Amino acid sequence: MPGSDRPSEGIVRELPRLRSDFDAALAEARDPDALQDVRTRFLGRKSGELTLLFGRLGKLKEDERREAGRELNTVKQEVESRLEARRVELERRRRDEQLLRERMDVTLPGRTPAVGRRHPLTVVREQLEDIFVSMGYEIYDAFPEIDDDFHCFEALNMPPDHPARDMQDTFYLQGGSALLRTHTSTGQIRYLLSNPHPPFVRIICPGKVYRRDDDITHSPMFQQVEGLVVGPGITLADLKGTIETFLHALFGPQYPVRFRSSFFPYTEPSMEADLGCVVCDGKGCRVCKGTGWLEILGSGMVHPAELEAVNRRLGKVVYDPEEVTGFAFGLGIERVAMVRHGVDDIRLFYGNDLRFLEQF
Amino acid sequence: MGLALEGLEGRGDDAVLDLDITTNRVDCMNVYGVAREVSVLYGVALRPPDVSFPEAGPLASESLDVTIEAPDLCPRFCARVLDVRLGPSPPWIRDRLEAVGVRPINNVVDLTNYVLMEMGHPSHAFDLARVPEGKLVVRWAREGDRLTTLDGVGRILAGRVGVVAGTEGALALAGIMGGASSEVSDETRTVALEAAWWDPLSIRRASKALGMHTEASHRFERGADPEAPPAATARIAHLLAKIGAGSARPGFIDRRPVPRARRATSFRPARAAAVLGTPVAEDRARRILTGLGFTVKEQPAAWDVEIPSWRSDVSREADIIEEVGRHLGVDRIQPTVPPARGAEGLRPVQVATRAVREALVGAGLTEVINYAFVSDAEAGPHAPPRLHLANPLSEEQGALRSSLVMPGLVSTLRTNLRQGRRDVRVFEMGRVFGNTPPGLAEESRVAVLLAGAMSPHWKSERRAADFYDGKGVVELLGRRLGLGSFSFEPDGAPGFLHPVKAAVVSLDGQARGYVGCLHPDVAEAWELRDEAVVAELELGVLTAPRPPVRVRPLPRSPAVERDLSVIADRVAAASEIEARIKAAAGGRLREVSVVDRYEGEHVPAGKVSLTFSLVYQDPARTLTGEEVQASVDRVVAALRAAGLQIRGE
Repeated sequence: MPGSDRPSEGIVRELPRLRSDFDAALAEARDPDALQDVRTRFLGRKSGELTLLFGRLGKLKEDERREAGRELNTVKQEVESRLEARRVELERRRRDEQLLRERMDVTLPGRTPAVGRRHPLTVVREQLEDIFVSMGYEIYDAFPEIDDDFHCFEALNMPPDHPARDMQDTFYLQGGSALLRTHTSTGQIRYLLSNPHPPFVRIICPGKVYRRDDDITHSPMFQQVEGLVVGPGITLADLKGTIETFLHALFGPQYPVRFRSSFFPYTEPSMEADLGCVVCDGKGCRVCKGTGWLEILGSGMVHPAELEAVNRRLGKVVYDPEEVTGFAFGLGIERVAMVRHGVDDIRLFYGNDLRFLEQF
Repeated sequence: MGLALEGLEGRGDDAVLDLDITTNRVDCMNVYGVAREVSVLYGVALRPPDVSFPEAGPLASESLDVTIEAPDLCPRFCARVLDVRLGPSPPWIRDRLEAVGVRPINNVVDLTNYVLMEMGHPSHAFDLARVPEGKLVVRWAREGDRLTTLDGVGRILAGRVGVVAGTEGALALAGIMGGASSEVSDETRTVALEAAWWDPLSIRRASKALGMHTEASHRFERGADPEAPPAATARIAHLLAKIGAGSARPGFIDRRPVPRARRATSFRPARAAAVLGTPVAEDRARRILTGLGFTVKEQPAAWDVEIPSWRSDVSREADIIEEVGRHLGVDRIQPTVPPARGAEGLRPVQVATRAVREALVGAGLTEVINYAFVSDAEAGPHAPPRLHLANPLSEEQGALRSSLVMPGLVSTLRTNLRQGRRDVRVFEMGRVFGNTPPGLAEESRVAVLLAGAMSPHWKSERRAADFYDGKGVVELLGRRLGLGSFSFEPDGAPGFLHPVKAAVVSLDGQARGYVGCLHPDVAEAWELRDEAVVAELELGVLTAPRPPVRVRPLPRSPAVERDLSVIADRVAAASEIEARIKAAAGGRLREVSVVDRYEGEHVPAGKVSLTFSLVYQDPARTLTGEEVQASVDRVVAALRAAGLQIRGE
């Protein structure tokens, strides 16, 4: 009908204006309270603009109401979703600003849990133990530090008054003939005597030893690791190979190992092993006294007299030198640590100054 | 080949080699012995020194008589009589002596030293005019025998010391040093030249008893060559004539009460190869041994090898194998590695010991190692009887420790405090020693010491270590090693601890150690600053083997927690109240622990409020509210019956 303004059109015609009013109002709302005002202005239950428009639907005829109603609903959903989006956005911004206010100085010290550490000599000892365990050795350390002449000297082919005893100045206990062991070789004798599967032996004996000596390279108490292998067909070549293997595992495969004939009362033949100086790579320095080599350990084939002494104590031939042979070696743990870490004075290890221990 | 070259020095046209000779090789402690080794090493001929000399004058036996009264001391005594013209030695002799560090004195004495260095056998020159009646007697010293030795020291001899004596008393210490009264001087015209072979053990004992160590005694105690005396004296006679300083009289005095037995051993080249792990060519072995002076008789089963008189260090086949090995070169033997027979691995006790160490390291403690020697004064009276050393390095190191803490860790603390360090957290694992019957005892222990701030940080207030930090470390070990709970009793801790801030630590009813603060008196005596907390435990109980964990199924229903605040006397033991709670609550109480302790205005004076958290759970089903409440009611009733009050009622 020309010129007639249908009532539904009136409602719908207001929508563009409402939309642009809403756009403007939404853009202005910068905080949750303002946003709530916008919500109330348009969707408020009593007097929201959109709500009022919905109210005018009742005056329309059925089909006009449906059409207008659809339009209104579209707008309503749009308003609601945009309000929600805006709310989320405002919320996120507020939270982001709040997070930034929590800024602190990341360069201040952290709450580091207390740092403990093993003693450097323990580190070397455990490393040696692990190397030998991987080669099938048993770690035998359950033997006493206080011992007697038989286990410490006699059974090791050092009878009383033997000049070789001069090499080791012994601490004796009052009230008897007990002594503090001067080397872990007592472990050889004790194990041979108590061997659970004779005549086979494959052990290392780490432990503290005691000698009346006290200067920059000698401590009255120090630590050694002793090795003993006994069995059929054990040779000097085996001894060399074993020493090379564990020295390379301990220091690195790049350092050469050389062997020199030497003398110990309880081994025959005896050898000393030198390691190419790890400090100067063999060029010569203060640590290796200019020779390019570090003296590292003593070794040799077990002297038959030692096996014989053990057999006598056992009262029968358990280790027949015609059936089995063996090799033994010994090295000082402090020496390894001193070479490795550049420690000049052995007494630092037992001074227990935390300024020293905490460097490791 | 066993002689280590320590130094090499040029000297004009010549050189001086500084060799380190192992103590068993007396035969190499001279030029000729080293030359012998070199001759075998390089396969060059060895030239013995010239021992020829002209004889002049009456028979030696007319002026010198020797009697051996102690054949056990002296199996052989040889002597010559020399007519001498005293004076300085020619330059070539002085030069060589100085090159090896011997001071020239006069030609006669120098020659004895020269031959000692050259051939290795000590000899001694007596001024024959000062040997009463020309009679020498070899005997043990008698009580009260006096002798002034060449070093000017007057000695009163006793015991098993051998002497060469005249009719009027001792003239020389046998095998060690000559005497001043018969010393060769500018006035000497005739010399009785002694070269003897002494029993090694006798010389060693005498030199130790007298505290004397000479070039002569060093060789004799290691077993010099009993066949050398004739050659040594002959060589001196030869050189004496050569330098125009005199001549030897005819005749050689040789008293030999104990003949030398032939020494031989068997040798199997095949065994040498087996021991060395390298092939041993028979003719190479023969050349080596022959060159070294051994006489070899090859036989099918084993060679018979006669040992030369100068090799006192060789007696059996193993020694012959070493000779061959040395000269073949041990560095030439190809290394091999013996195959393993099985894998032992660390034993459970060793694994557990490492676990104890790792737990303490993880808790922030640093491992220290203290000497086993302590001073009785520092270790204090509060300890079981200690063992003592007969020959300590000093009095401060005269006892063996019976505790790791006292003085060990306490001394470590002081050392570090003196360096300006305030916070010390350390531990030690090691043995202590005791005199408990039936005899000497050693026990492995672990000990810790905490002093100063625990985890200092700029964000929190400084908190000093206290008793509960020490107890916490002990409990940590118990938990980490899978032991049951330790119990802590307030009485019976060692006397160097605070009388009440200390406890005895027990497991399964047996005391195994202690934890506590150091007694203030101890702290003062040691000049310590903050309170120090210490603990010491037997290591064996921590590392005793334990079966592997048997997993329990996870509970299917949630736990119910109830808190209960109990008002108790200040000095009451929380563990007692816990025990009552456990007894009354029944089986569904899974856990009870103290979560708060309050002392203050809301609680009567002399009382504290202890809050216990009770956790109930049934593994199979959810507990009903009534069941939990019933248990709580029983607990409350039991506590009330014990005279305790429940707070909040």
